[in-house]
Amino acid sequence: MQSSLARAVCRVLIALTIWTPYQIAQAGMIGTDQVVQQSSHSDRSTVLNLISRSDVASQLQAFGIDPSTAKDRVASMSDEEVRYLSGKIESLPAGANNSAVVLVVVLVLIAAGVWWYYKR
Amino acid sequence: MVLQALARLKAERNARFAAGVFVCGLALLASGCASLFPQTAELRDGLPEGMPEQVELKQVPFFPQVEYQCGPAALATALVAAGAKVTPEELVPQVYLPERKGSLQVEMLAAARRHGMVSYLLAPRFVDLLRELSAGNPVIVLQDQSPLGTWHYAVAVGYDYDAGDLILRSGERERQKLPFYVHEFLWRRSGYWAMVVVPPDRVPATADEARWLGSIAALERAGGAREARTAYQKFLERWPQNTGASIGLANAHHALGELPQAERVLREAARRDPESVIVLNNLAQTLSDQNRDAEALPFIERAAALGGPHAAAVDQTRQAILGRLAARRKN
Repeated sequence: MQSSLARAVCRVLIALTIWTPYQIAQAGMIGTDQVVQQSSHSDRSTVLNLISRSDVASQLQAFGIDPSTAKDRVASMSDEEVRYLSGKIESLPAGANNSAVVLVVVLVLIAAGVWWYYKR
Repeated sequence: MVLQALARLKAERNARFAAGVFVCGLALLASGCASLFPQTAELRDGLPEGMPEQVELKQVPFFPQVEYQCGPAALATALVAAGAKVTPEELVPQVYLPERKGSLQVEMLAAARRHGMVSYLLAPRFVDLLRELSAGNPVIVLQDQSPLGTWHYAVAVGYDYDAGDLILRSGERERQKLPFYVHEFLWRRSGYWAMVVVPPDRVPATADEARWLGSIAALERAGGAREARTAYQKFLERWPQNTGASIGLANAHHALGELPQAERVLREAARRDPESVIVLNNLAQTLSDQNRDAEALPFIERAAALGGPHAAAVDQTRQAILGRLAARRKN
């Protein structure tokens, strides 16, 4: 119990050290993201977002990105996008190549062709 | 080659698009065709009014992809078409994920913001894709070629409704023509994922009010206050009653140090929407930042009285203003 609490506190502290300089840029103003998200616990979600941001940044590092690049990449995401990515980088589609497109297209065309002439 | 030959053969027969879909419709019950290409089937009813039968954005550049890097190539295509100066190589460290040998959808959306553009995720509708093309916006689509291949980004740059073809920049092919139903077959498993990238002074043809606001807010959050300011202004020309956009515009002004402009926007918003806690809080803060704490006080008191999810932030602003007033009285 105590150690999980300590871990949570540590994570918050790490997240704060990393992201705070960006968050306090406009002290006192409520950000536009709060309007867009319509969240019911704005303070809590701000802290949670900081944690997810540092989580996603370290997950990106695990997939071969260096720390400062990972941080820049996360910084250009919205809170919603960060939440969506968190913990799912392994399983989400990653657009890569098109080596098989011709094959698939040919298969589909042949199927469509066969069906076309069959129906005529 | 085989594809082209087949397509030509098909064209020489009576393969007019409408006829094709009509036959498809006839065979629907037997073959389950419409369930394979539901949106292509819907398109047979005709294009929405005012849309041309043929569109091709010939000025959209072509960057042939290198190895697995169709993400950077597709994104560069759309960004350069929108007016950014960037190459696929520069985008590799911004969207490519080495261990996945590919690029994630979220990162495609996010990276465009680093070049001062607004990225917008389209609704999963074929007709929306065509509508963006007819408005001059190339569309990045995610196709699924598994189990034989894998996920692939391509950029749609045109269509020919009569022939039933979509025209794409794809991989190493500068001008790939895919029949609508083939494209739908490849596209549907990504949930019809498609995005556009537009400069901040333009609104996508299919923009939905709430989601477009979210796209601009994401650009603002990513550090593009100057571009977001332009985008919010355009947004308010189209939807002048939107309080969220006013808040965004004021925040962009505030971030750029344009406090009188932020104040003007927020006062206008407070007139329209006097119950908005965020408007009141930000107006009070903007006045306080101009050393007008006495003027700010009634606004922040009203915000505090309204309560709601931002009560803690409002209370902080209120304490700060009260503190500054007390300090001034002492001096």
